[in-house]
Amino acid sequence: MKTDFSPVIGLEIHVQLNTLSKLFCPCSTDYIGTVPNTNVCPVCLGLPGTLPVLNGKVVESAVRTALAIHCRINDATRFHRKNYFYPDLPKAYQISQYDLPVGEEGYIDINTEDGSSKRIGIIRLHLEEDAGKLVHAAADGRLAGATSSYVDYNRAGVPLAEIVSAPDLSSPAEAKEYVSRLRQLVRYLGVSDGDMEKGSMRVDANISVKCSDGRWGNRTEIKNMNSLRAMERGLAYEIERQSGILEKGGTIVQETRHWNDAQGITLSSRSKEEAHDYRYFPEPDLPPLFLPDGYVEKMASTLPEMPWIRESRFIRDYSLPEKDVAVITENPDLADLFEECVSGGASPERTSNWIRTEVLRVIHERKIPVSEFPLSSSVLAELIALIDSGKVSNTAAKEVFECILQTGVTIDEALVRCEVQAGGISGSRLENIIREILQNNVPVVQTIRAGEDKKGKKGKFLMGLVMRETRGQADPREVREMLSELLGQ
Amino acid sequence: MKIMSYHNMSAASVARKIRSGEFSVSDIVRACLECIGNMDGTLNALITREDQKALQRAAFLEKAIASGEDPGPLAGVPVIVKDNMCTRDIRTTCASRILADWRPPYNSTVVEALENAGAVILGKSNMDEFAMGSSTEHSAFGPCRNPWDTERVPGGSSGGSAAAVAAGYVPLALGSDTGGSIRQPASLCGIYGLKPTYGLISRYGLIAFASSLDQIGPFTRNVEDLALALNVLAKPDHRDSTCSRKARPDYLEALETGSLSGKKVGLVKEFRNYRLPPEISASVDRILKILQEAGAIIEEVSLPVTMTSGLGAYYIIAPAEASSNLARYDGVRYGLSAEADDLLSLYLKTRKAGFGSEVKRRILTGTYVLSSGYYDAYYLTAQKVRQIITREFAEAFSRVDTLIMPTSPSPAFRIGELVDDPIQMYMMDVFTLPVNLAGLPGLSLNGGYSAEGLPLGVQMVGPKWGELEILSMAHVIERELGPAPIAPGGVTDEN
Repeated sequence: MKTDFSPVIGLEIHVQLNTLSKLFCPCSTDYIGTVPNTNVCPVCLGLPGTLPVLNGKVVESAVRTALAIHCRINDATRFHRKNYFYPDLPKAYQISQYDLPVGEEGYIDINTEDGSSKRIGIIRLHLEEDAGKLVHAAADGRLAGATSSYVDYNRAGVPLAEIVSAPDLSSPAEAKEYVSRLRQLVRYLGVSDGDMEKGSMRVDANISVKCSDGRWGNRTEIKNMNSLRAMERGLAYEIERQSGILEKGGTIVQETRHWNDAQGITLSSRSKEEAHDYRYFPEPDLPPLFLPDGYVEKMASTLPEMPWIRESRFIRDYSLPEKDVAVITENPDLADLFEECVSGGASPERTSNWIRTEVLRVIHERKIPVSEFPLSSSVLAELIALIDSGKVSNTAAKEVFECILQTGVTIDEALVRCEVQAGGISGSRLENIIREILQNNVPVVQTIRAGEDKKGKKGKFLMGLVMRETRGQADPREVREMLSELLGQ
Repeated sequence: MKIMSYHNMSAASVARKIRSGEFSVSDIVRACLECIGNMDGTLNALITREDQKALQRAAFLEKAIASGEDPGPLAGVPVIVKDNMCTRDIRTTCASRILADWRPPYNSTVVEALENAGAVILGKSNMDEFAMGSSTEHSAFGPCRNPWDTERVPGGSSGGSAAAVAAGYVPLALGSDTGGSIRQPASLCGIYGLKPTYGLISRYGLIAFASSLDQIGPFTRNVEDLALALNVLAKPDHRDSTCSRKARPDYLEALETGSLSGKKVGLVKEFRNYRLPPEISASVDRILKILQEAGAIIEEVSLPVTMTSGLGAYYIIAPAEASSNLARYDGVRYGLSAEADDLLSLYLKTRKAGFGSEVKRRILTGTYVLSSGYYDAYYLTAQKVRQIITREFAEAFSRVDTLIMPTSPSPAFRIGELVDDPIQMYMMDVFTLPVNLAGLPGLSLNGGYSAEGLPLGVQMVGPKWGELEILSMAHVIERELGPAPIAPGGVTDEN
């Protein structure tokens, strides 16, 4: 009898919180693209004699996030030191949380492939400081072959919320769904940009495989999965690997493995770092943190409409398909843009189409966040409303859209520049255009007039020329009627 | 004016006389530097002298005074700061090879406060490496000597600051006290030393030994100067989250109104369980008698857990914190950095060469007690004992206003006498370290002399934020016994 294998996956996700200053000092958290070791001070460099001072804004972000994932908030929390040596860790300990994290025992509901909803448990959300970054002097920037390494401490002390899930995920697809949900959530909360590629959201996975014959393999921890795609591939690979070993009756080595995206495999990382005893003990430089009465309630009152609630509202109120709503509500700014357009008079369905195609295309092409999309919602709404009312064709509107994007002119100016006339091209103007086309295509015209266009292909060809020439501003029915009249059919 | 007449002066009177124009800042700074130059070859109380900076600062202050500015309550007062408090661009070594050339880019809060009050920093004082020790022998810069007997230690770890004040270098020096490092050297050098309540003075810029126990405090030769120093140093500081935000009283003003009638003084009876030289008990009795005559009521108080288990708890908690605090000295960013081929050997070689034996011993102990499998048995148990000790003190202070016991079980011992016997050395803190565990204020004042003529300190402990209480009682005692004299090996008319 064949053995079945079911994966058991839990994720540890580090979310970089986007506060202006670091967790324990006033330095800027802006470390991407800044000159190395410029956003540093004696405190985040861990110079002798310095002391941490907790950033209250970080606590707000952490409590809001913990509330959004339905955690119980600990009114009294404290920080611990996690001791280990590494050159990117200035104090040789990381200030983290241990026994009293900000939040515990929460959950997130995700949509599974079969369309049902599944509840994924959250064990805890705790705060900790990020470390600096090592830059290795090897040609490819990697450790292997490097003769020296540099450390940039700009990232040291940047606040992180670590969110630990229960081992409730049973496939790479579910893991992807969970991470997407969490990413969406932190964006809705405005506490992080949740960008895995930039490292503002980092996912480590604990994974094991359960066999239908009752055996349960040891778990491994997978690191270095730097995108959703990488995570899916990494987990799938690891499931395959572990199942293969178990199938042959082998045992899984409990270890940390690194996902190698280029090779598409996980590799054991047998470094000395693994043998850590972190010697956690309460951080004596920070008194316990007691959240004042009413603090949690106050934070709860600042929570935005949760994405899952927004989704069901969009489906209900705008009669949009679930799949489309998922795209629009993925990003809170995109969902805001949608709602602003609709309240600005644009039809929900067309707005949904435009946002999913034109707007997202521009955002991907230009690699900009939604918040930096150059058209205001009112302009977009006006343009879509012009299509809605039949005054401008969809094709013409796209041209106007491009014109505004390229030149930044007003919508009225763009309409003029694109020679788009509200109401379209018809009557004698349309007739003149058709006549010109017929004159330029005499052989085609002759074929049709000779009755040899049996399948109507030549007629469609002429039709297409007219529509292109009028840039879609003509009513196809009028074009068709006028064409057959002028062809004498 | 003769040198002697400066060196006997209190900080308060120096500031008064400078403000009234009796002499200039440069006058006193020059005189102090001269005497340091004459004497420190013998005493080795200072690791770093900053003569030029001090003279520049004196000139700067004089100019300010000439233009009508008041430099502050420590106008022109020469001070010495223990070498574990960061001074911008002035070498701050912790008496360790690992920081032997380190120049901090920032000032500690207390150094800022001293300068804002008009003080002139003359140098950085010798100490036990990273403040770990009771004799100032564990210094990468050589042992400091006691001005009462230069064959003997000044106590530690703030031995350099204590010796400097006892010898008359300066009227005021700063020390830090984790388990007795201010009070014990004050006792062995016959001067006043105050360890304030944990959280009274900012620790920002104090290079940590054991963060939950460390507190900065002053050494002086009289009580008024202790109060003056507190007025300058005891302030809230947003850079230290463990520094209290509550308002501090005017310690100087409140001193004058101190009256002892109706005050209750508790004599901690357990100290008699230790084998002590008879003169130590006699000095405690002498102080009690003075307090009694001033109207205080004396009663015996028992601190059974404190006096038996304090030492054990302390030598778990302090090394545990130290092992973590000292992990940052890895040769990567600053300080000593050994030549090495790979990361691990960089760590190993740097730390092997950089730390002295006592520091290594405590790092090892601390690492051990925090290790998984041992944490509960050691660290957690020690924290429970610490809570019991805190409660025991609190109960005692519900009945009495202050507690009295000896500061140290021994007068100054000979250099080399205990240096190879860590347990005996640790015993030197047995009466002082419980006060750190409970976070309370403790003061050491001279209560008499041993048969060999060495000073013997008596310790007065107050309740939390009870500095005024113990200062006022110490003031009463000082009125009876006089201020602390300059040590026989200190400044005289001849040197």
